[in-house]
Amino acid sequence: MSAKEEILARLRKNTRETYDMPDLSQLNPITYVDPVAEFILKTTTTAGAKLIEKKPSETLNDIVQGIAKTLPSSGQGGEDFLIASNLPGIEAQLNPDTVAEAQELMAADLGVIEGRIGVAENACIWIPQQMKEKSVCFAAQQLVIVLSRDAIVNNMHEAYARIAASTEFFSQYKFGTFISGPSKTADIEGALVYGAQAARAVTVVLV
Amino acid sequence: MSTKHSKAAEAYLQDDAVVTRHDQTFFGVRQKRDRMAQALPEWEDLREAASQIKKHTETHLADYLEQFEQQTVKNGVHVHWANDAEEYNRIVFDILSSHQVKKVVKSKSMLTEECHLNGHLEAKGIEVIETDLGERILQMMKLAPSHIVMPALHVHREDIGDTFRRLIPDFDEIAKSYKPQDPHDPNDPTFLTYVARMHLRQQFAKADAGMTGANFGIAETGDVVVCTNEGNADMSTSIPKLHIVSMGIEKLIPNYQAMGVFQRFVARSGTGQETTVYTSHFRGPRPGGEMHIVLVDNGRSEIIGNPEHWQTLKCMRCGACMNTCPVYRRSAGYSYTYFIPGPIGVNLGMLRDPHKYYDNVSGCSLCCSCDNVCPVKVDLSTQVYRWRQELDSLGHADPMKKMMSNGMSFLFNHPALYTTALRLSHVVNWMPGALVNMKLNPWAYGHEMMKFPKKSFHQIWKEEKL
Repeated sequence: MSAKEEILARLRKNTRETYDMPDLSQLNPITYVDPVAEFILKTTTTAGAKLIEKKPSETLNDIVQGIAKTLPSSGQGGEDFLIASNLPGIEAQLNPDTVAEAQELMAADLGVIEGRIGVAENACIWIPQQMKEKSVCFAAQQLVIVLSRDAIVNNMHEAYARIAASTEFFSQYKFGTFISGPSKTADIEGALVYGAQAARAVTVVLV
Repeated sequence: MSTKHSKAAEAYLQDDAVVTRHDQTFFGVRQKRDRMAQALPEWEDLREAASQIKKHTETHLADYLEQFEQQTVKNGVHVHWANDAEEYNRIVFDILSSHQVKKVVKSKSMLTEECHLNGHLEAKGIEVIETDLGERILQMMKLAPSHIVMPALHVHREDIGDTFRRLIPDFDEIAKSYKPQDPHDPNDPTFLTYVARMHLRQQFAKADAGMTGANFGIAETGDVVVCTNEGNADMSTSIPKLHIVSMGIEKLIPNYQAMGVFQRFVARSGTGQETTVYTSHFRGPRPGGEMHIVLVDNGRSEIIGNPEHWQTLKCMRCGACMNTCPVYRRSAGYSYTYFIPGPIGVNLGMLRDPHKYYDNVSGCSLCCSCDNVCPVKVDLSTQVYRWRQELDSLGHADPMKKMMSNGMSFLFNHPALYTTALRLSHVVNWMPGALVNMKLNPWAYGHEMMKFPKKSFHQIWKEEKL
């Protein structure tokens, strides 16, 4: 017998009574009067991110270039930076679809990516992989996540229901992640520090 | 007659400052967890739902494993099955060696600790780099984790700084690139985290493979879900092209609906955050890459058959039971002889090998706090109690306590003798303390014996003076 057959046989032999799956439709999870306001609050407080609401007069690229100029790595003239993105309309020096190796994106000062669902209860943003090299989402020094305010839901149950119903997510690339703010750690004496291994700062741009 | 746990705890308790800091740190996490629980009106319903989902999944595990495998294979993932730790270690080494891997970056996984994977790979010449900051610190210091979620909180910043200076070859160069915020503390946590960041990013760039654990496996879709705050699991799998997932078979849940319940719990219970920063769903290999999942049994299929203890399989390793445990907080991880400490560790150790790990069952005051915080309602303290009942048949009962228990049992079963003893009990008060509190009486150790009243309740009742 293979290990698989042995394990399954032992499980079937040793399982005594069985239990039914509960009815999860009765859960009644938390909702908010204004989910967008709650999302903004959670993003800028507990998640530790910045948030910009795009005005109709601005372009996304204006906002991104403006953030890039303020990066610590941008040099004195505020011009010496690398942006990585494959989003249309964003002027970028690196493209996660065309770089030869994922490592190249570690040099990016700013990654610009698109979120598809925002979650009010915990500031999570669903980012389905929409680029060849997903390292842009993690390895760039800082991250800009563009999110439509119409895509904000109350809680994780609603978010997962949307993902489960979607035929688009996971279709091209078999990965997706929820990101809530910058990478953080409290592993040294419990002191909270932003910028552990991945993005040191995150700016959410609501469009 | 003390257990190894109580002896180690006694030694640990010698340093007041260290104990107080440890106690307060973890009680602080417990309080954060309470605030999270109170902020959600549906909290208790979620706990009940989570418990029921786990009971259902664990008692249909063979079916869900087959479904999970079918999905993952369809998604282009290689699936391996391991009966035990030895088989698991061999499978991982074979995958790595067939890809000529020299260096592996690895995110935190209790399963790899359980199977002693790192030592196995290192003995065969493969370099293993832990990438969770706490785990990396411990790896460099050659220490074991002292907690399953916050593994290095017991280590002091000075020792971390010294270790980094000694073992990170380009420490000075990295330090120079740091924009100083607090230059007068050379061991400032923000500075040390920056050094670790730069050091670890070099490792991600040079690694040939990335390994992760799995917080959850979703049977319906074949997703492996990994939750981290640092993003180290994502760095480990976004740069190297080979990804190996190590997953205990009990980690499965049925579908996305269930995932919603557990995603909301894992961080709220464990660290008192609304969510981990990253909740990543791996459904298949990267473009041009390879993904392997090793499903590990290592005793789990036997646990399901244990009528008293099978519900430990529901555990999702959030650590809430340790944070609340008054014994864990005041004795710390290294006082336990099993690598997972605290209430869940006491139970998992007994299931692993009761003759090896029975010392830990004394590390419980039966306050039952763990039962009340466990997000999946594992009846942890009841199980500890049951193990204590089983100690005698396992041959590990404390002989002095056993003798006294037998004596009391004899006394309570002979009413005339009991009444006489009761009448004379206050005589004990006149006996020298040294005789009552002597070492032979294990219950007298650590606390004064009670004073026996002159008249018993029995007697007062009979005299109708109540």
